[in-house]
Amino acid sequence: MVGVLSKLVTILTSVFMFALLFQVPMHPARAQTSPDTFSIGWDSSPIDQINPMLTTLYDGGAWVVSHIIYDKLVQSDSYGNIIPDLADNWTYVDPQTITFSLARNATWHDGVPFTANDVVFTINHVIANQAIYPHIGQYVQNIASARAIDNYTLQIKLKAPDATFFSASLLQLIIVPQHIWASYTGNFSTYTDLPPIGTGPFKFVSWEPNSYVQLDANPNYFRGAPHIKHLIIRYYTSVNAMVLALQSGEIDLTSPLLPPTVVASLTSNPGIQVFTRPDLRYFYLTFNEFPNGTGNPTLRDERVRQALEHAVDKNELAQRVWLGFAQVLNTVVPTSLGSWHNPNTPDYTFDLNMSAKILDDAGYKVGPDGIRVSPSGVKMIYRIDVPSDYSEEYRAAQLIAGWWGQIGVKATPRLMDSGSLGNEEAAWQHDVVLWTWSADFLDPSYFLSMFTTSQDMCTPGCLGDAGWSNATYDKLFTQQSQETDPAVRKQIIYQLQDILTAHAVYDPLYDNDAINGFRADLFTGIPPGVIPPFFYFGESGLLLSVHPIGMATETTSSMSTGTTATVSTPGIGTDAIMGLIVVLIVVIVAAIVYGRRKKAQT
Amino acid sequence: MGIEYAVKKLGQSIATIFFVLTFNFFLFRILPGNPFALLFRGPGFSRELVNQLNSQFGLDQPLWLQYVKYLENTLVGNLGISYTYRSPVLDILIPRLMNTVILLLTATVISVALGIGMGLIAGWRRGGKIDLAFSTSTLLLYSMPTFWLGLILLFVGVIYFGLPVSGMVSLNGELANPLAPASIVDLLRHMVLPCLTLVLGLTGEYVLIMKGSLLDVFTEDYMLTAKAKGISNAKLLRDHAFKNAALPMTTLIAINLGLAVGGAIQTETIFTWPGIGLLTYQALLTRDYPVLQGCFLVVAVAVILMNFLADLLYGYLDPRIRTA
Repeated sequence: MVGVLSKLVTILTSVFMFALLFQVPMHPARAQTSPDTFSIGWDSSPIDQINPMLTTLYDGGAWVVSHIIYDKLVQSDSYGNIIPDLADNWTYVDPQTITFSLARNATWHDGVPFTANDVVFTINHVIANQAIYPHIGQYVQNIASARAIDNYTLQIKLKAPDATFFSASLLQLIIVPQHIWASYTGNFSTYTDLPPIGTGPFKFVSWEPNSYVQLDANPNYFRGAPHIKHLIIRYYTSVNAMVLALQSGEIDLTSPLLPPTVVASLTSNPGIQVFTRPDLRYFYLTFNEFPNGTGNPTLRDERVRQALEHAVDKNELAQRVWLGFAQVLNTVVPTSLGSWHNPNTPDYTFDLNMSAKILDDAGYKVGPDGIRVSPSGVKMIYRIDVPSDYSEEYRAAQLIAGWWGQIGVKATPRLMDSGSLGNEEAAWQHDVVLWTWSADFLDPSYFLSMFTTSQDMCTPGCLGDAGWSNATYDKLFTQQSQETDPAVRKQIIYQLQDILTAHAVYDPLYDNDAINGFRADLFTGIPPGVIPPFFYFGESGLLLSVHPIGMATETTSSMSTGTTATVSTPGIGTDAIMGLIVVLIVVIVAAIVYGRRKKAQT
Repeated sequence: MGIEYAVKKLGQSIATIFFVLTFNFFLFRILPGNPFALLFRGPGFSRELVNQLNSQFGLDQPLWLQYVKYLENTLVGNLGISYTYRSPVLDILIPRLMNTVILLLTATVISVALGIGMGLIAGWRRGGKIDLAFSTSTLLLYSMPTFWLGLILLFVGVIYFGLPVSGMVSLNGELANPLAPASIVDLLRHMVLPCLTLVLGLTGEYVLIMKGSLLDVFTEDYMLTAKAKGISNAKLLRDHAFKNAALPMTTLIAINLGLAVGGAIQTETIFTWPGIGLLTYQALLTRDYPVLQGCFLVVAVAVILMNFLADLLYGYLDPRIRTA
């Protein structure tokens, strides 16, 4: 009796589940928001505070939000070029003195006109409070003084010529209103800055920490009011929920990036456009080359590292780990930095025979257990540590360990908490680590700075995790940092990349794509370009040109570059299908177990 | 009721809270990684900047000194300043607590009502088809992982019933009056899925306990006596069986209500419900010690308080305990 009952339940449930599967796909209805409200989903670090001076992470919600409300002197366009923001134009009086001519019609959200005094106040405020603004404070370190010549003319004097002053410092330095900030007398390390008053294209309306931020178009924005009336940034704890929200119309754009596994389920919805741009980060293998480190000493031998790099198939990794949504790298400057990336740096081709030959020639003979031994008797046994917040990269470490195994190198991948891994690196205890670096600005100097002797040879470690040092590199690095002619500087940057790859200091693996979904049936006007959207939310480009479909605008409705996919196959997301299959299995197993147990009792 | 009994229970509660305070303080510091060490990998950060932040928040001081300061501050109601929110922990906790109570209280009331009802019927008709249906279905739901059940409900609810995906409110750029009828309907729509997830998970426990204790009572001699006296079934169930079977339910409800304050971490995370559970999850990711300590303290105090109340209620409901 029970057996029959449970079988019946199983059959009915299965029929119901399959009926669900083959139902008409979700209609791209839009019940939740009005047509001129643009909603962005956000699933990275939470939006925990609004004060622009206290933001610490470039991918933090607070950073993104404050860069929308506030302006800087300059901004980036969607190709990564520096273009005017609060500064209309600028001229170098000498390599250390810059005169800015400021926008004359910019006003703060409370109606007070913006002047050069606000900029001077901001710079002096950050300099005075460097102790509590450790992050933003570093962008003013090279400023000797700032002076308002008149209300709309500003002069900044630098301590030393600085090639990255625009592309790194000024791109980060948010300008705050003197009339509000100067009157606050409390402790700035806990200043909430509510409501934030900026000069940007959107005004603050409301904020629920870690839930959402609501903004309204600023009709008086000095570069023209946005086409959308309301802007909402909504926080999601899981990427599945965010994808579902895009499909149901709760949001119109995802950010900062989706995993490649959800692309298939998004392309099934004809209203959704999937577009990709290279992310501002890259994944790499580092080797512990520090002379007094406690990692495996064979890694200090350049030939060993070169052999190991010949035994890594980066194309295969990009395919297997990122399903092809990644660009293979030959240098430590990712392709997202455009022309700063040197495409001609010769890389180590995947060639296991070549790899074995290099090791043979260098005297690393295969021992009786199949593991190579150095001339001084050290076995080539390595750990490959992977931080647990990038658990998808563990797969890459496993594949690498497989290839290295074929040339007589024993490698064991291991997932580690990133805090512990950071401590291990600082004490120079690691062997090989697979990790990532990301930039918060569009300049290669940060990616290259960690190989200078002052950053890579400290105990405990500073920024670098290779423990490598080279006098020529140091000299060239200093030279580029003071070179203000971009063409000359680029040549030096290319040379630096060549040196690093030639010495196999790192093995740069790939630069993943920032994949995002966009409601192309409701909105249009994402500017073409290469910079991922989350980065230029704060740059007016994206939010000024996006507009609802059917609204007449002067903007050309050109879509993004990169992969676009709008296949119209009906069906709900793969996640849902997988979920339902799991339901079926559980129901069946439960029914069988229950039936058996009852039978055994009777 | 004896004052001595109440005082003894109060003393035990205070001792437990002190123990929890101490335990939590050290528990979070055993976790690998420190809030600012995690930032180190952020662009433009260096170890000097990390050290600077560490000293700003007193994390470079010896652990025992941090502990003494923490106890001192907690005693005067200062739960510290969050590392990430940069505001007092209490200001962050209280609105979240309200959100959690709205959700969890609704879910608990519904599942207690359902659980008692279904448990009574299942116990009364033990061995019958209704008992089988109730017991299997609730047991199955009870043993399902919450996050998984929640995800399934999320997909089905959003795709086929057009329910909202996340949060507590629909946003259209306007500032809505939270007490307007439309806002309340909107809140209820947002509550459907998380509430359903919780009810499905919680009800099973109540059904099983209710049914179990009812069956215990049924085997007592006084039930047979009552039946022999010719008392009607309804009266028998209400006056003789239910009253006695309600004791274990009191404890269970009290414990669950206490735990409810801690929010349902998984449910709140899936539906991005801005309650204590989600706050705990996010604080754990960023190693925000003051917020974590605050969340755990609130949960501990709630559980202990509810237990204390349950103990008092028990004494009232069951005269044997008072005199024992």
